[in-house]
Amino acid sequence: MSKEKAFWPKFLPKLVIGAGMMVGGMWISANTADLQATLLEALGLPLDLGKTLAAIGVFLIVSPAIDFFYLQPLKEAIDDRSENLEKTFTEAEQLRSEMAEMKSGYEKQLASTEAQAREQIQAQIKEAQDLRKTLMSEASAAADDLLAKANDEITAEKLKALTELRVHVATLSIQAAEKIVGENMDSDKNRKLVDDFITSVEAKN
Amino acid sequence: MEFIGKSAITLVAASDGHHGPSFIGLMIYVALIVLAIFLFLGQAKKGMGERVFKNPFTQRFEQLYLFIENLCVGIIGSHGRKYVPMILTFWLIIFFGNATALFFSTSPTADLSFNLGMALISIGYVQWEGMKANGAGGHFKHFAGPSLPIVLAIFVTPLIFLIEIISEVMKNLSLSLRLFGNIDGGHQAVEAMNALGADFYVPIGMFLMPIKVLTVIVQALIFCLLTCVYLSLVTHHEEDHSHDPELAAAP
Repeated sequence: MSKEKAFWPKFLPKLVIGAGMMVGGMWISANTADLQATLLEALGLPLDLGKTLAAIGVFLIVSPAIDFFYLQPLKEAIDDRSENLEKTFTEAEQLRSEMAEMKSGYEKQLASTEAQAREQIQAQIKEAQDLRKTLMSEASAAADDLLAKANDEITAEKLKALTELRVHVATLSIQAAEKIVGENMDSDKNRKLVDDFITSVEAKN
Repeated sequence: MEFIGKSAITLVAASDGHHGPSFIGLMIYVALIVLAIFLFLGQAKKGMGERVFKNPFTQRFEQLYLFIENLCVGIIGSHGRKYVPMILTFWLIIFFGNATALFFSTSPTADLSFNLGMALISIGYVQWEGMKANGAGGHFKHFAGPSLPIVLAIFVTPLIFLIEIISEVMKNLSLSLRLFGNIDGGHQAVEAMNALGADFYVPIGMFLMPIKVLTVIVQALIFCLLTCVYLSLVTHHEEDHSHDPELAAAP
């Protein structure tokens, strides 16, 4: 609206002058045809100065109207487009640099994360190895204990078996002797004899 | 009453031996081309709101604008952009005026009076811009040619000044007669060739249409080109020397 307000004060004088020239041209064309014919046709020029004046008048009116209503909007549209393109390119450049920055940040972060992960894995491996050593030493100690216990038990069982065997052998020997001798021997007395015999045999062995 | 009647007849009917339409006829043609121009520009303006111009009229108008801008900047220099509105208006009026000649028996630009009007505006505008660029004194001093020793200046300078003034006046005739000759000459040639084939009912003149189309474009271009050249001659002192880095650096 303000643009149109600015246009009219500039355009109005040209419009008035242009219209005046058109009317003046019409008057000249209508009233000086004979004079012009005498003067200009003598020079061989097919001229009507009224038309010339009117043509200038038309130009004076048309020129600013074309400029204001069509040329300036076109220039503005072209300028806007160029500005938009420039803005878009600037934004794209900015985004590209931001992307590059982010990429480098991510790469750094990734490298740092990888290093941390590697450290953690190493720490875990070390911890696991320590644990393995501890467990192995504990297992070894437990195995040694069990072996010792087993040895003790074996010794005890061996002793027990030997005792039982001795008793059994003694009983069998007595029973055999009873059968051979044919008399009922005093058991306690005979048993002592067998035990002494067995003890002497063990001592020899 | 008789006077008014005679005047009215003069406005409506062209005088004997006078080329081109009558005053009213010319104004009707002018109204037609102005209407065609505004219809074209109106259609072009509809597509100006788009981010990318898809409207074919807008595209053509933009191409025309860029063409004229290149013409002005190429010939006049970087300050030539301010003359684009004037040159573009010349182009539109003369091109549409010439194009009318392709469809009708005559056209505004086939009338020497109309062309003289355009030439007077062109040369008048050139003088005005010359005075704005160099000052009135500087501009008219330019017509006097180079500064000469006083003895020579007394005789030669007025002569150069007179020749330059005649040259400036002749530019009007040159611009208007060239346009008139080409467009009206095209009509005359077509009519003459049609007359040759009239007995056989063959419009031989139609074979000249491609040349006429070319003339329509070329004559509009020549008028604008010459106006740019004249503007360049009177305004090149204004900026070019000061903006030329080599000249500015020279002692």
